[in-house]
Amino acid sequence: MDDRLLLIFLGAVVGIFSGIAAVGLNRGLIAMSESFAGLHNYWWVFAVPGIGAALSSVFLEKFMKEGAGHGVPEVIYSVSRHGGLLRLRSAFSRLISSCVTIGSGGSAGPEAPVVISGASIGSNIARSFSLNERQRIALVGCGSAGALAAIFNAPITGLVFTIEIILGEWSALTIVPIAVASVAGAQVSRLLQGNQIAFTHLRFDVDITTTLAAVGLAVITAAVSIALTLALRHSHRVSGKIMLPLWLRAFTGGCLVGLIGLMLPEVLGEGYHTIQKMVEGTFTQGLGLVLLLVAAKIIATSFTLGWGGSGGIFAPCLVIGSFTGLMYHRLVDFLWPGLSWVNEGCFALLGMAGLVSGILQAPLTGMFLIIEITGGYETILPLILVSALSTTMCHAWEPASFYFKDLMERGHYLRPRTDAKVLADMSIDELVEKDCMTVSENMLLGDFIKVVQQSHRNYFPVVDKETGELKGMIHLDDIRPYLFDPLLYETVFLEQIMQTDIETVDIHEELSDVLDKMDVRGLFSMPVVANKRFVGMISKATLLDRYRHELIVQTQH
Amino acid sequence: MELTIQEFCKCLDMPLNTIERWIRQGRIPVKRVENKCIFNDTALRKWAEEHNLHYHPPGEMQTENSSEKLVTLTEAVESGGIYYDISGDTVEEVLAAAVWRMESIESEEDRKVLYNSLIAREQMMSTGVGNGVAIPHPRTPLDREGIPTQIATFFLEKPVDYRAVDRKPVYVLFILVSKTSKQHLHVLSRISYCLRDNVFLQMLSETPDSQTLKGKIREFDAILNGSG
Repeated sequence: MDDRLLLIFLGAVVGIFSGIAAVGLNRGLIAMSESFAGLHNYWWVFAVPGIGAALSSVFLEKFMKEGAGHGVPEVIYSVSRHGGLLRLRSAFSRLISSCVTIGSGGSAGPEAPVVISGASIGSNIARSFSLNERQRIALVGCGSAGALAAIFNAPITGLVFTIEIILGEWSALTIVPIAVASVAGAQVSRLLQGNQIAFTHLRFDVDITTTLAAVGLAVITAAVSIALTLALRHSHRVSGKIMLPLWLRAFTGGCLVGLIGLMLPEVLGEGYHTIQKMVEGTFTQGLGLVLLLVAAKIIATSFTLGWGGSGGIFAPCLVIGSFTGLMYHRLVDFLWPGLSWVNEGCFALLGMAGLVSGILQAPLTGMFLIIEITGGYETILPLILVSALSTTMCHAWEPASFYFKDLMERGHYLRPRTDAKVLADMSIDELVEKDCMTVSENMLLGDFIKVVQQSHRNYFPVVDKETGELKGMIHLDDIRPYLFDPLLYETVFLEQIMQTDIETVDIHEELSDVLDKMDVRGLFSMPVVANKRFVGMISKATLLDRYRHELIVQTQH
Repeated sequence: MELTIQEFCKCLDMPLNTIERWIRQGRIPVKRVENKCIFNDTALRKWAEEHNLHYHPPGEMQTENSSEKLVTLTEAVESGGIYYDISGDTVEEVLAAAVWRMESIESEEDRKVLYNSLIAREQMMSTGVGNGVAIPHPRTPLDREGIPTQIATFFLEKPVDYRAVDRKPVYVLFILVSKTSKQHLHVLSRISYCLRDNVFLQMLSETPDSQTLKGKIREFDAILNGSG
């Protein structure tokens, strides 16, 4: 069968399975919240999120041997570095752990977990068909798109999120199967749980006032996004310093969330009911309380995710965003009483877009998500404005978004068609030139000159004949002064001429580090060693020649 | 036409591990049949063209780049021949006599071409390298069908003033003819190595018979080949 057709067909299959996984998690969450519904009269209810977080941490750490966190950076890293290779157990590990965390009241979302399980489903289907890496990456994208499309009933969001965040590359080869997978995922979700728009609302009358006011909202959402990012990072740092077992740490974080939840139950869980109320305009609490809720939700989310609970950032963003939108609307109403404009549900909606775009720094994902989950196309103008401005402001403050921050710090942020990616794909092993003539340190200069006559290189590594250990280097320039002095031929040993202060590279080193070393010391050629043994030479000229080939091969499809 | 992966690497002049990675990453159009890759010549040629990579299919390559085999001293002397009692009083006369004695050249025209190019070289600067030896040779390689690569040795009837660097009269000529510059330098460097050897010079001055001379040349070849 034609490769493209096969990929489209498999994309649909992956989309269906990811859709089922997403629906499964959704059902699990509903079941959990129903079974915990009767508990809120007991005093110890605050410990429930703690127990949930601890269980999920133990499950991930002890049984699945996977790290906590939401999983999206893992998928991005696997796509950029390992050709989309993911473990099969990732297909369900995060589903279960996040179900326990969120179902028990932890402040997190189900989207990131379904993205990683969808991606893992795609990766493993690709592996069982022994597809190549490019096709596997496409199927990983299919999984992520199908899962996201299913959990939100939002096919375009699935497609756009995958391309904007997971793959970072627009190419026809991948877009087509991913689009098909989005459709399949969303269709599965509609078949199993009906075609429902998550947040239905009344019609909004959007006019120029709203569009202008959106600029102000963007400033607020950007500020809140930054606050949330800071809170998450800070709580992660604090929890890392506490000398407690991981599960106990997660338990503590969960209990703190539970305590906040005792006073403000809106912060618990994924919080979609609260959003629904705000979008409908039936959330009646006053300005002060909304302000408090924004802060409380930020704190609860950082205690859940930063302390070892498992789940995504999407849903908390939506909740915080809608609180922020509501807060902004009430603030304007308070400052400018009697202004007749659109109702506050619309601003809850715009706030969500602003926060998602700001945190993820993915404006398209933010726009399409909100349009699809609210069915509110009439808000498109202010929506685009808020998304774009919020992204820009967050980017100006911190160029690395929430998903990319860790990857960038570890040097794992390798987007397709970038210098870093091209260099990361090539290995020293492919570039090392092995046609160098090695010489021994006991060789006489006279004998060495005969070797020079036979060689067409300027570098001569001096190697211990028995161990193969690299002792030093001789460059043609080093012997130039003695070349025409026959008296020295029989009296000078290479040991006396060779340079011993030499910079070497290990065969497993990254090429970007090698280039850095060359630049720092102004070298054009360096010896490559493996366990101190000389392997060959690596030269800038060969490297750049191959770099160009690699660049062409990677960028022209 | 189908290729093996090794052949394909050679066609592209890329290392095997890079090609293997490209296949794994799905950057090269290969068909997989039961875990084996099939490389199709036409598809790969098209792919290489699209990606600005040089592609030399097997068979087409080699001709230009393969290093030509360099003739050794023994072979060159063998093909040139050794001649005695060349007469003449001037450079021109000696050279003319020598060129018309050469048995490796058949046509009259080839002899003229060789003679003229030898004279032209002598007019620039004498090829008398000292110690009674001259190495006449054309200035640029002579690539003619009728003139093979060779060292033709000529012992003169009487020493001739050859305007040599040490002003000593010349009694032996080694006419060097090569088809390429590389070959020329190769033979010239070997000859000059021989001429630094005093025993050899002594031997030449005594006009050795052709077997002794060839034997000595063979010894030099053995030494030079042995050292590298």
